[in-house]
Amino acid sequence: MLYSVTHTTKYDYDAPVSYCHNIAVLKPRRSLGQELLEYKMVVSPEADEVSERVDFFGNYITRFSIQKEHRQLKVTTKSRLRREYEQFKTDFRSDKCVKITLEQAKNSLLKTDVEILEAKQFVLESIFIKRASAAVETYARQSFKPNRSVFEAAEELMQRIYTDFDFVSGFTSVSTPIDEVMEERKGVCQDFAQIAIACIRSIGLPARYISGYIETLPPPGQEKLVGADASHAWFSIFIPGFGWVDFDPTNNQIPGDQHLVVGWGRDYYDVPPLKGVVYGSGKSKLAVEVDIARVI
Amino acid sequence: MTVATNAWFTKYFTDYTYDEMFTPDLSVKEDWQELLENFKRIGIDGLTQRQNDINWLLEENGVTYNVYNDPNGLNRPWNLNVVPFILQSEEWRQIEKGLKQRAHLLDLVLKDIYGERRLIKEGIVPHEVIYGHRGFLRQCDKINYKIDKHLLLYAADLARGSDGRMWVVNDRSQAPSGMGYALENRATANRVLADVFADMNIKRLSEFFKEFNEFLLEVSPEKIENPNIVILTPGSHNETYFEHAYLASFLGYPLVQGNDLVVRDGFLFMKSLKGLKRVHVVLRRVDDVFTDPLELREDSHLGVAGLLDVVRRQNVAVVNPIGSGVLENPGLIPFMPAICKFFLNEQLQLPQIASWWCGQEKEKKYVLENLSNLVVKPIDRTNREHIHFGSLMSEQELENLKKEIIKKPYHFVAQERISFSTTPNYSKGTFEPRNMVARTFTMAGKNGYNVMPGGLVRVAPERGKLRVSNQRGGTSKDFWIIGDSKNEERQNYSWNRRTAVSVSGLDDLPSLTAENLYWAGRYVGRTLVNARFLRMVLKQMNAPDTVANQQACSVKMNVLYKAVTQMTGTYPGFMDKDKAGNFAIDNPLKEIIAVVLDKNKQGSLANTMMMFSNSYYSIRNLWSSDMWRVFENIQKLWRSLENEKDVTVNKMIKTLNQLITRLIAFMGLIEESIMVEQGLLLYFIGLQLEQSMLTITKCRSLLVIKQSGQTEYEVLESLLSSHESLNIYRYSYRSFIRVEPVISLLLMDLKYPRSLTFLLGRLQKDIARLPHSKKSDTLMQYEKNVFEAFSSLRLANSEELAVVGGENTLIREDLDTLLEKLSDLLFETSQSISNTYFNHTYKQSQLVDQNFPL
Repeated sequence: MLYSVTHTTKYDYDAPVSYCHNIAVLKPRRSLGQELLEYKMVVSPEADEVSERVDFFGNYITRFSIQKEHRQLKVTTKSRLRREYEQFKTDFRSDKCVKITLEQAKNSLLKTDVEILEAKQFVLESIFIKRASAAVETYARQSFKPNRSVFEAAEELMQRIYTDFDFVSGFTSVSTPIDEVMEERKGVCQDFAQIAIACIRSIGLPARYISGYIETLPPPGQEKLVGADASHAWFSIFIPGFGWVDFDPTNNQIPGDQHLVVGWGRDYYDVPPLKGVVYGSGKSKLAVEVDIARVI
Repeated sequence: MTVATNAWFTKYFTDYTYDEMFTPDLSVKEDWQELLENFKRIGIDGLTQRQNDINWLLEENGVTYNVYNDPNGLNRPWNLNVVPFILQSEEWRQIEKGLKQRAHLLDLVLKDIYGERRLIKEGIVPHEVIYGHRGFLRQCDKINYKIDKHLLLYAADLARGSDGRMWVVNDRSQAPSGMGYALENRATANRVLADVFADMNIKRLSEFFKEFNEFLLEVSPEKIENPNIVILTPGSHNETYFEHAYLASFLGYPLVQGNDLVVRDGFLFMKSLKGLKRVHVVLRRVDDVFTDPLELREDSHLGVAGLLDVVRRQNVAVVNPIGSGVLENPGLIPFMPAICKFFLNEQLQLPQIASWWCGQEKEKKYVLENLSNLVVKPIDRTNREHIHFGSLMSEQELENLKKEIIKKPYHFVAQERISFSTTPNYSKGTFEPRNMVARTFTMAGKNGYNVMPGGLVRVAPERGKLRVSNQRGGTSKDFWIIGDSKNEERQNYSWNRRTAVSVSGLDDLPSLTAENLYWAGRYVGRTLVNARFLRMVLKQMNAPDTVANQQACSVKMNVLYKAVTQMTGTYPGFMDKDKAGNFAIDNPLKEIIAVVLDKNKQGSLANTMMMFSNSYYSIRNLWSSDMWRVFENIQKLWRSLENEKDVTVNKMIKTLNQLITRLIAFMGLIEESIMVEQGLLLYFIGLQLEQSMLTITKCRSLLVIKQSGQTEYEVLESLLSSHESLNIYRYSYRSFIRVEPVISLLLMDLKYPRSLTFLLGRLQKDIARLPHSKKSDTLMQYEKNVFEAFSSLRLANSEELAVVGGENTLIREDLDTLLEKLSDLLFETSQSISNTYFNHTYKQSQLVDQNFPL
């Protein structure tokens, strides 16, 4: 599948900004079944300098600064992507994945080969996902049992979050603590992803946060997917002996071709689409637009 | 041991501990013996005298240490005990070798952690010890540096362990503090005890600091003659701010805050009066996560947005590199022997405190079973509140701690409760054994690492206390290593400085420093003028006829009281009723006391004094010690009035008299201690501007409304007296006081230094020397304003100004109009100067609001 994605982020300031420094995680990274064919970023007003690097997790980080006075910041990215992911989904349901129980998984984690070592850092607490409260762990334990398949447990966890939590935008912000989301049972895609990650880490397995997009055009006769027209987020669990498997708790599905990956990290903190430091004295208003078109 | 010294130590030991002065068989170590002989010469009284001298000197020089939440407030005096700490040179040689090895090893660890991570991959260090440490900053991964050593400065805390050897108990690698205090301790000891230890051949610190200076030049990413080096401080509220300022003035580099610096086009710049100036090296005293709000802690206002990127591009060197805080990690201690074998195939030379990392099953079990005998710390918060002393905890607290450990075992390390050695401390006429910790300093050099021959020794605040920390209060000691040769060079700190502030001039003055100087000038001016005015009013209140006859004087006193409110801006004051509906005029003394002493009343003298102190603290690296002494005197004087239970008019007059004298002495010292190029110009501009503005306010309050005969005379006399101009008036006019000559003298006299015209003339000359004034033939806005103010005054005529507007009015309208215009012009001048030179104060905010600890 070939996609063309246009992502526009606009900040309007009510007082002039004299200069700003920004960091964007908007350029889609290389990931399983996904290839970036073309990418362009346009900043308005034009950035005085731009640099790009690959971070600790392998994501593209773009840094730019604007040194002239401005009242509006507009960042537009256009990407062309090939996504052929459906082929891997059958693997998830195969014995070599489904048969792995929690107990086996935890034993495998004791090994010290490179893949395991690399994955294990995603068990530790991270900036936004601090050590889980008892409520989170209890919630997780309802699905994860020592002799149960990790895959099945994770799938059930996804379903339960989908059922138990309400999608309410505006209720949470990036800094709303996990415990509060758990208590209130409402939030948006990034909250659901982070709740799931907190649950999985509480039972001692690695989980990471994935930032990306979801295609907006629903196939005929099907419901429109939630999270359309904006960035999207989901989670991935590491099943030792098999590998990473993605789940989207906002839409209760295993991501396929319609999910486009931009970057991943321990939680939202590692991959915010756009952040920055602004010098000026006003307030800002944010508008985001994402447009995903199927090319073929 | 001689009888005399023996007698000093008869009550020294209460129970057996290892004491630094004695050998295991309780004879006195050789170097200590020499010290005691020297002490004997001056005797107990002599020692007490020397200790007092030290205390006095430290206070005089303003050596302070800020303790957070300290009831004594900021800037608690630093303590230095008269008895130094001596380490035998033989032992020191071993320690020195061990420190060099450890610094080298930690440098390799640092490179590996942010590079290949072989230590993790090859199973030498468990991944949680690194990945689970807050100081491991993923943003710093794979950064390359131009210099081959990454760990540039390293401090280790040493304490004597149970085997009688010095153990490493803490590693400090971000922005280690203490070097400046060690230097100051030595300087103080040198002055007070020179005769006591003249023959003892103590190793000097100067060589180390000379090399430190060369090293700062060396690390510059560009090999140029004069790389720009700055010292980055979190600000004057930081606990070790004294040290930052001390090192800045000792090394001769500008002391800057995050606000002074800016990133442009991949380079780091300092905002100076003239514009931006490239910075090559930052010696930072700001912790890792606060150094860059763009990539690290978003809510930090102590760093520079984009700094990390400049580091990545190798356009600036930060000492120590950002991210080095991961080495402040007791979780590494149990693995250090293996790391040493892995990298160097050597044995670790310095012993370390026994530590158990709870991320391992066996160790965790041991810790949980022996918790009450251990000291538990998180791997990434190694100071203060986060340390749990098992022996001091209740059953319940131990249970809670156990739960914490079980929940997140990798986050905790338990250490042996070490029985610190003691060292003699002189206190109230006797010697007491006090527990001690020594901080040593190691620095990268051309050939490996250099170790400071000495360091900072701190002892527990009380006998028998184990915890040693400046943050909790305590005493420090000079740290002596006795050299071999009797004739070591006596070189002073006069090495050839390749970079110094004096060569850079006014254009390169950091704009924050410039702003502080400007406000210092304004506040000192305001304090002086208002103190004089209040003193005059207080004297009038105490005058016999005021006291005797309230009614007759009320018109004059009313005018003066209202002027007090206008001069200080303490509205409503005497101008109107307050919120509760009371008129201050009904109880003038109460209001006057508030205007003098209420710190929280904006505009009060106490409030102005506070602002004045704050602006001076922020630029203390520019001060001479005489200035400090007078400043301290002023503070003391003021505190004594504040602590006065029964404040009377007479007491206030007395204090104001002393205050005014000391302020004038202080102002005189400022003028001779700081050079115009260092920013004195900004101070002068602030001072002239403030004095001009207050002269205008004073004249508007007292001259615009015409009073009847005797009252007018008395008001004019008060005005002249508060302006310290009564004698000049009598000398110049030899007449009854009339309004026209008063206007002439105070406002229009071209030669009288206290007249407004004179002040504005001088201001005009001073602002013409500001960097942007010289740019073109067109005047800057602030120049236009002052020029207009000056001309308006020159064009005015005192006879006309004294005329009352009409028959039904008592107002001198022309005078009022002129003064109002001047007042507006000067207000605009101040704004224009601020906008042109101090515009670093752009509000910093986040694109997306995020507040969380890293």
